[in-house]
Amino acid sequence: MKKYETPLLDELEKGPWPSFVKEMKTAAQKSEMANDELGQLEKSYKDRRGYWKHGGIVGVLGYGGGVIGRYSSLPNEFPGVAHFHTVRINQPSGMFYKTDALRTILDLWDEYGSGLTNMHGSTGDMVMLGCRTEALEPFFAEVTSRGWDLGGSGSALRTPACCLGKARCEWANIDTMDICNHLTQMYQDYLHRPAWPYKFKFKVAGCAVDCVASIARADCSIIGTWKGKIAVDQAAVKDYAKGGMDIQAEIVDMCPTGCMSYDGGELKIDDANCSRCMHCISKMTKALKGTGEKGASILIGSKAPIVVGSLLSWVIVPFMKMEPPYTEFTELVEKIWEWWDDNAKPRERIGELIEMKGMRSFLEAIGVEPQAQQVFEPRKDPFFFWKDEDLNGNK
Amino acid sequence: MEVKELQDKIYAFVQAAKGKKKLKEKDIIKGVSADTGETPDAVKKAMREMIDVGRLMYSYGGGSSSVEIPSEEYLREKGMIK
Repeated sequence: MKKYETPLLDELEKGPWPSFVKEMKTAAQKSEMANDELGQLEKSYKDRRGYWKHGGIVGVLGYGGGVIGRYSSLPNEFPGVAHFHTVRINQPSGMFYKTDALRTILDLWDEYGSGLTNMHGSTGDMVMLGCRTEALEPFFAEVTSRGWDLGGSGSALRTPACCLGKARCEWANIDTMDICNHLTQMYQDYLHRPAWPYKFKFKVAGCAVDCVASIARADCSIIGTWKGKIAVDQAAVKDYAKGGMDIQAEIVDMCPTGCMSYDGGELKIDDANCSRCMHCISKMTKALKGTGEKGASILIGSKAPIVVGSLLSWVIVPFMKMEPPYTEFTELVEKIWEWWDDNAKPRERIGELIEMKGMRSFLEAIGVEPQAQQVFEPRKDPFFFWKDEDLNGNK
Repeated sequence: MEVKELQDKIYAFVQAAKGKKKLKEKDIIKGVSADTGETPDAVKKAMREMIDVGRLMYSYGGGSSSVEIPSEEYLREKGMIK
């Protein structure tokens, strides 16, 4: 195996933190692909340019996604990475694995691919980096025979992702893992057969802390919330104060709606003005707790800046009960998809289409009534319009 | 219409667009349904069967997916021709 000198990459091995270079060097000891990837990457760093060609027609029979074609533009110099396709494997909800399942899939990847992985990609999938075209079908056959499947890519539903929810987190208001698994199973066809103008992502967060960053990264964010008051354990509040917490500065002054007050003894919350942002609860877990009915806020339209600028999600349904089989939610989503598919240009995300057509048209099309919680910014509610018949002759 | 006949119509529709327009699933479903009078669901089902056996294939470019007639290279890679 050719030995590459990698002085620039070696710099990234220094320091106390984990290093991808160290891991690549380990893989390179037994994989020609990983070894040539090291060589090409060092050359990229030295020349300050990438040497990858992206895209093309690569995949497994019957599927329109799950494999992203990637080729080296220097195949003669680095033959091990002449083909270096990415394979996305649908991760389990919450990314829980048994070690034998992980070992199985990684052993398969050592056999059919480069041995390099990205655990996990920003979409949530297990990302298997580096596969030759002729190895795709055999690898696919092996992983599917063990109960795994490919994730989404292209203009399809992307692999739904969620936080670990009720499995480990006391703040979870909804069963994120069950919702994620349900959507994944229900919409298999949309995941594997790209039929839309562009990608569509679901992310499910158990609360507004939003560990899965759904508000910034999902076309449709499902964020757990509650309807009742925040229960306050005043004794626990005193303990936090005794422990050195500056409740006025760290909690009350940080409340985005200013609905809290603290007189040095008692913490009070005006629940009617609380936006359920979770700041106070996440800081004073032992003292504060959301109560009453649990469900989710449904938001729409966030995206990263690929074609045009980035967007954050916008609340369209402030509260929805989320119980199996989630019919209210799936009926809403299917109306959203229909409107988007009928109206969007190629490579136009749902958030961009809403910006173009207006929230009013969108809400009318999906049959959701305008509500105060949908207002995006104070004094900016462009989707509230009245027709002549609503005005009863008063103009 | 027999499925085989419908699939031939779908194939002809995709072939006619070759080199002119990247067809999305929806373009094919709408176009063939209008041409033949078959329901969109019937066209979709027939098209998906063609994709499953390699008579048509998904393609990808610039972040967007389309449906095309497979190249010889693709069919060879999938072991469908020698």
